[in-house]
Amino acid sequence: MDVFGSFALILAFICAVYAFGGGIAAILTRHPLLVKSTRQAGIATCCLIFLATFSLEYLFFSDNFSVAYVVAHSNRALSTFYKIAALWAGQEGSLLFWSFLLSIYVFSVLIAYRNKNGELMPYVGVILAGVQIFFLTLNNFVASPFKALAVPGANGAMDLVARADGNGLTPLLQYPEMVIHPPNLYSGYTGFTIPFAFALAALLARYPGEKWIHLTRKWTMIAWCFQTAGILLGAHWAYAVLGWGGYWGWDPVENASLLPWLTGTAFLHSVMMQEKRGMMKVWNVWLVFSTFILCILGTFLTRSGVVSSVHAFAQSSIGSWFVGFLAVIFTVCLVAYLKNRDYLKSENQLDAFVSRESSFLFNNLILLVSCIAVLSGTLFPVLSEWLSGSKISVGAPFFNKVNIPIGLLLLFLTGVGPLLAWRKTSVESLKRNFAWPLIIGVVGGSIIFALGYREFYSLICFSLCIFVAATILMEFYRGAKVIRTRSDASFLTSAIELTMRNTRRYGGYIVHMGMVLVFIGLAGAAFNQNVQKEMPPGSSMQIGKYTLVMQNFDTKPEANYTGYRLIVEVLVGGKPLMMLYPEKRVFDTNGETGTMVAIYSTLREDLYVVYAGQSPDTKLPVIHAYLNPLVKWIWFGGVIVVFGTLVALMPNRRAVLVLSAAKQPAAEPLARGLAPSATYRERHD
Amino acid sequence: MTKMQKIRRPGLLILPVLLCFASALPILSAFGEVQEADHTHLVGMKVRCMCGGCNDSAGGCYHVGGAFSGPCDTALGMLKKIDARIAKGDSDDLIVQSFVQEYGQAVLTEPPHSGFGRVAWWIPAVALIGGFALVLGVISKWRKRLSPEPALAGAGNARPVSAELLERARKQAASDTED
Repeated sequence: MDVFGSFALILAFICAVYAFGGGIAAILTRHPLLVKSTRQAGIATCCLIFLATFSLEYLFFSDNFSVAYVVAHSNRALSTFYKIAALWAGQEGSLLFWSFLLSIYVFSVLIAYRNKNGELMPYVGVILAGVQIFFLTLNNFVASPFKALAVPGANGAMDLVARADGNGLTPLLQYPEMVIHPPNLYSGYTGFTIPFAFALAALLARYPGEKWIHLTRKWTMIAWCFQTAGILLGAHWAYAVLGWGGYWGWDPVENASLLPWLTGTAFLHSVMMQEKRGMMKVWNVWLVFSTFILCILGTFLTRSGVVSSVHAFAQSSIGSWFVGFLAVIFTVCLVAYLKNRDYLKSENQLDAFVSRESSFLFNNLILLVSCIAVLSGTLFPVLSEWLSGSKISVGAPFFNKVNIPIGLLLLFLTGVGPLLAWRKTSVESLKRNFAWPLIIGVVGGSIIFALGYREFYSLICFSLCIFVAATILMEFYRGAKVIRTRSDASFLTSAIELTMRNTRRYGGYIVHMGMVLVFIGLAGAAFNQNVQKEMPPGSSMQIGKYTLVMQNFDTKPEANYTGYRLIVEVLVGGKPLMMLYPEKRVFDTNGETGTMVAIYSTLREDLYVVYAGQSPDTKLPVIHAYLNPLVKWIWFGGVIVVFGTLVALMPNRRAVLVLSAAKQPAAEPLARGLAPSATYRERHD
Repeated sequence: MTKMQKIRRPGLLILPVLLCFASALPILSAFGEVQEADHTHLVGMKVRCMCGGCNDSAGGCYHVGGAFSGPCDTALGMLKKIDARIAKGDSDDLIVQSFVQEYGQAVLTEPPHSGFGRVAWWIPAVALIGGFALVLGVISKWRKRLSPEPALAGAGNARPVSAELLERARKQAASDTED
């Protein structure tokens, strides 16, 4: 099966080269057969990559320990569930997985638009094939996952061998979220290839009209949705597995995932300026280019080891390939832009300073500044070493200091932007839209202040969250009220109807509401508490209102690891609340350890209990307990954000006037016929 | 609609928002105090654990993958040094500087506000201020491009609006109010 996989990858590479070269020839000659054959070569490339990926998974499931990658990342005792995750556990497999996800997108695009956008699609096909060629080059010639296991033989040649068992999967990946977090995040990264291809294709083809921007926007939203889910799942994994009580540590790999998300978010806002007013075409094209470039840059940072990261599993010398690819992409984008910049000419006009357009400009500014701050902070250790000869570290305190005020500005704009009218917002409209949300925000902030909360940023954040929530609710209230007065439906039904009639607008509001919840959760971090204590059986510790009593500990031998588990009773006010079982796992094959945190999670706070291990001095079990307020709001907010994005992706339902057969009295059968009768029927456009 | 009605209806909206907020008050009341870490850990948060296996601060080292999820031996050693210097009466800056002398600037968890380290702080600030100025400049420029509205013709000379023009105006209005 390893030979089959290798062969499929080689064939895929050949097909991709044909799709690329033949595609360019098809663009130049406009020969219909050539156009068709290159599209089919593109589809064949995807199918072959699917086959290669499935064959690697088959090697994992069949415990084929003659393949080096399977030996390095699996073992017989590994559960089936985690054998799926083993695919992306190392460099070679994760690059194949990248190709696989990209192929799903490419396949969907080539099939969905096979009879549409005839002028644009050959360009799109060539660009997508170009990206696939790069990754297939890595899959075939630089980091092949199908390499046979070999050891140096007696005569100096390499002898092929097969091992009885593998090394096993790294414990940090043996957690359910690791089966869904990387696919989501990678789907985000790879998904941004499609808007990039459409934008570059439109520029190269000088594609008339604005259709390409609608296509680009839709695919950007899909990738953005995956990226958002991936980032949040990663944060949840870090929270539940790493055992440090936090969810975001500003590690370079985390930052790398945030960068395209920020520019993607900026694009999703500024694209509206182009759709509505035909403005900012150059800006939008470069935002799409930048988002894709940042995806590749992020991959480079993750895999090259150029910046030190805890995600060290994937470090190698592969970085130079990514640098080369980045240089090629940037050059192509720049040349395409310089040659066709007149195509992007737009009549940028603003009617008033206070308008939706201005708010989008500021929104883009804030998102871009945040992106620059994160990028410069991430690369600064390397830059400082190159330029000054001395490495300067940039850790979490820097990122927090810089990004918290930026985040609050963005939160403020989240509330303000949607309430401003396109073109011009009158003073009367400002008063009408902002008076109550402002009052509610200020009153809310004052109450929080009066309750004794003096942590500056958290106080501002809570106040802004109340303000933004009020603006969003007010928008739903106003719209639903209009529908309700016409249809006599309930308020909830009216709100749903309102949302379905303009999914993009109200889906966007739902996303904003989700972000408010995320910000509430983030603000809670200022009030985190933690206690660490050696806990012999029978002893107790106090954290917040909770008393933790160490009852006992036990050992739990499992197929793949041995679990050392503490049994901790949680009391509140002297009354038993529940039992928690924080655990330390030692994996048999490689001796590595993993932490299973025990979390009692409520909307108010998380009681987060870690079995840190035995004290090096006294050999007594050590418990590290954290009380993290409002963390659940982050996860809940994330779900709302994803839900809102899905709503925004749905087509609008419109009330349309249709002609239907008129009901006639039974006494006049002969007169029955089609008569115009205006009734409203729901339709999806 | 009278002025009173105009005010009263949005006023109704305040009710559910305040009710939601009121229900969240018990949640907020649970965590009014920010926990102060002890002095040693506070100083320990300013320097990185130099074990080479993690990117944590010495004060916050939890060392993922280690047998003990807590400060590793290197971080413990650094915390002990901090403890001893605090006992000696050294200031926080002096303690941090002693680590910089030992390990170089790479030991700091955030760039110093002097020398090349200042550049790290300047970049976001310059981006924000420069970007803000740029956006203001762009808005001002784009507003100037706006062609002045044609003078309104006298009522008596007004031409009838064509159906085509009216339709175009309707489409424009719908587009402007859709999102």
